[in-house]
Amino acid sequence: MDVSQYLEIFIDETKEHLQDLSDQLMILETEPENADVINEIFRAAHSLKGMAGTMGYKRMQHLTHMMENVFSEVRNGNIKVTIHMVDILFQCLDALEAYLDEIVNNADEGTNDNEPIIKLLNGFLEGESENDSTSNKKAEKEENKPQGDNSSGYQVKFSEFEVNAIGEAFRKNMNVFSIRVFVDESCILKAARAFLVFKSLEELGEVIKSDPSVQDIEDEKFDLDFSVVFVTEATKEKVLNAINSVSEIRRVDMDAITELPKVEKHEDKREERHEEKEEIAKAENTSVKENTGKQTAPVKAVSGGKPVVNRSVRVDIEKLDVLMNLVSELIIAKNGLVSASNSDDREKANGFNEQIEYLERVTTNLHESVMKVRMMPIETVTQKFPKMVRDLSKKLDKKMKLTISGEDTELDRTVIDEIGDPLMHLLRNSADHGLESEEIRRERGKDPVGSIILNAYQDGNNVVIEVKDDGNGIDIEGVKNKAIEKGTITEEQAETMSDKEIIDLLFRPSFSTAKVVSDVSGRGVGLDVVKTKIEALGGDIEVKTKLAEGSCFIIRLPLTLAIIQALMVEIGDEKYAISLGSIQTIEDVLKTDIKYVQSKEVINLRGSVIPIIRLDEILDIEKSGEDEEENLTVVIIKKGEKQAGLVVDRLIGQQEIVIKSLGSYINNGNKLISGATILGNGDVALILDANTLV
Amino acid sequence: MEDNMIEVQSTQYIVVDVGIEQYGIDIKYVDNIVRMQKITRVPKAQNYFMGVINLRGEIVPVMSIRRKFGLEDDVFTDKTRIIILKPEQHEAIGIIVDNVKEVVSLESSNIEKIQSGRDEKSRYINAVGKNQDNLISLLNVNGVIDDVN
Repeated sequence: MDVSQYLEIFIDETKEHLQDLSDQLMILETEPENADVINEIFRAAHSLKGMAGTMGYKRMQHLTHMMENVFSEVRNGNIKVTIHMVDILFQCLDALEAYLDEIVNNADEGTNDNEPIIKLLNGFLEGESENDSTSNKKAEKEENKPQGDNSSGYQVKFSEFEVNAIGEAFRKNMNVFSIRVFVDESCILKAARAFLVFKSLEELGEVIKSDPSVQDIEDEKFDLDFSVVFVTEATKEKVLNAINSVSEIRRVDMDAITELPKVEKHEDKREERHEEKEEIAKAENTSVKENTGKQTAPVKAVSGGKPVVNRSVRVDIEKLDVLMNLVSELIIAKNGLVSASNSDDREKANGFNEQIEYLERVTTNLHESVMKVRMMPIETVTQKFPKMVRDLSKKLDKKMKLTISGEDTELDRTVIDEIGDPLMHLLRNSADHGLESEEIRRERGKDPVGSIILNAYQDGNNVVIEVKDDGNGIDIEGVKNKAIEKGTITEEQAETMSDKEIIDLLFRPSFSTAKVVSDVSGRGVGLDVVKTKIEALGGDIEVKTKLAEGSCFIIRLPLTLAIIQALMVEIGDEKYAISLGSIQTIEDVLKTDIKYVQSKEVINLRGSVIPIIRLDEILDIEKSGEDEEENLTVVIIKKGEKQAGLVVDRLIGQQEIVIKSLGSYINNGNKLISGATILGNGDVALILDANTLV
Repeated sequence: MEDNMIEVQSTQYIVVDVGIEQYGIDIKYVDNIVRMQKITRVPKAQNYFMGVINLRGEIVPVMSIRRKFGLEDDVFTDKTRIIILKPEQHEAIGIIVDNVKEVVSLESSNIEKIQSGRDEKSRYINAVGKNQDNLISLLNVNGVIDDVN
């Protein structure tokens, strides 16, 4: 049987579970006794094992199985969680991630058996002698059970908990069915079929009992049939259809349970109950997720090569509904226009205007909704950082903590995909170069635990991401000396350079100030790559730093990539668009108010001195004759804290524009033009990139 | 005899006027021929780019063959056309021609490859075609475009 069709689901869900596992391990490290966390980890390992087994990834299954064993012992109180154990668990996590990466890229888990890790895990288990016997006993019991059941039809035995659950269902007037499913004899991956049956059942209600246990079914420890007790609001037919929609199912027997069954005294009832509870918790989890339609789209694999799975965005069904509604409104608006054009001249003008306003409203909403579908919270990228910083902390032997805020800030999907690497790089930079060693921090009277803060927020049309640390800051003299040494700048140049210009040197290719090239960073392929990547996304990056106090990298990214609000201006007889996001104000400036500083034109605007940029000169626009006006129209643009005034001839107005690329043929000097747009009359207007002008 | 049988392979060319010369453009590169329309200048672009046009909602750069070949500037008339070229694996690009004359089929026996010459212009011509009494310079489309990149 081909399981490739489940590959996408498998990858998605594995990612979720791994993320879960990682989060929980982080907590476990600080609270080793937390029972909820331990349960959660056990559950994640268990689900991973089941899924890997179903897909035939034996190595992955083996590893998760070992993890599960360890945690089952921890849960029973036979083993205590130690820091050492958490470390090894993190290694397991890395190994699992490696498997997953392999699977994403090659649809195969690779050949790494991770023997050392498994040995270490085994070490924990062997430390406790009695545990083996209990788990063996349980396994034996469960293996025996199916045969016993076979002979006596399908008399299902119930525990006290299950009887209670059935009673509860009766009170709620829900149907309880006892279902026996026979899998086709030729079916190769029985577990996969069973898994699908469970999946479709869980969409309709709750499976409160299964025989053999869910775990055994997942491990394919069953013959050709299995039985479940199922609580649902759906009718018998619906349930039957759902099961029959799974292929390779030979027969389904279904009986309604109308009476409360007797409680079967069970040897290890307590344990059984625990497991069932878990299953229910799991079922609840999935149903809750479906209700809220939580958007946890997969994060693109970082490794190279073409992944075998397509990129996808999980979209909340509500968002699609809104889109659908808007499209229907669009059709109505179109019909309105058609009928308006058929009416009398007198009514025509009126009708048209009305319909055009309507159309405008619909398209604006439509745009907004489509953008929202493409938007994802930055959390999808940042959630893997806490673990990364933890690993760095171990590797670099520095104490540090990462604080992330504003992770619900949303960004376009394309940006989210690309921003992970640069951010990771900046974090590494902060951890490696930024933060000092513990001793130095103590000497300087700082908290021995270094702090890295990642903060994201929306600022107008931009999203700002800051990576801040309270470390050493950038040693400007050090950078200067290094640059002279490397021949990047001459000593004379260094004399005249401002601190900012020197910091900018860090973003030049192959410039690393680290004295020791470490595994973490300092190979000299650093900040320039970060900068290029961010600029490719239409953003920019700047640094603020203070020696011995820390540095802050500020990334500014456009919120959307395709459609922006822009101010249309005219210079000579050419029209240009300027993104509204970068415009601060528009001023009327008297020509006599222009002053000269270092023979450059500036104006003094409410206390701040702003350089004036004559767009006609920069854009080589031929002016027809002298303009006699005494006032200049100046558009004040800002980038971070820097400002500049652009002189334009005429303002046309605000407009929503669709950004189109100029293509790769034309190289426009200094990247003054970031793209083009098509105006209502079909003409092309160019978009000025305010960021390069400031 | 046999050789001749194999050689009857012919290619279609669009024949255009640029200045006093006739150029042939392999039809497989031609996406469209449009009338002269408003070209938006792009500041700081290479001088042979006239600017960009709106071709059915797409932005297409337009190049002046005359400027590229170092001829005198284009004079736009109602015969001026923009030929939109769409080479494989490249974006579309427009070139301005004075006039579009006809489409001819040239058999390979009538096409004479020429060595890449010394002057600027001959780098963009890879062969000369004979059509009855006329000589047509066959444009090396990829050459023209690669040069831009």
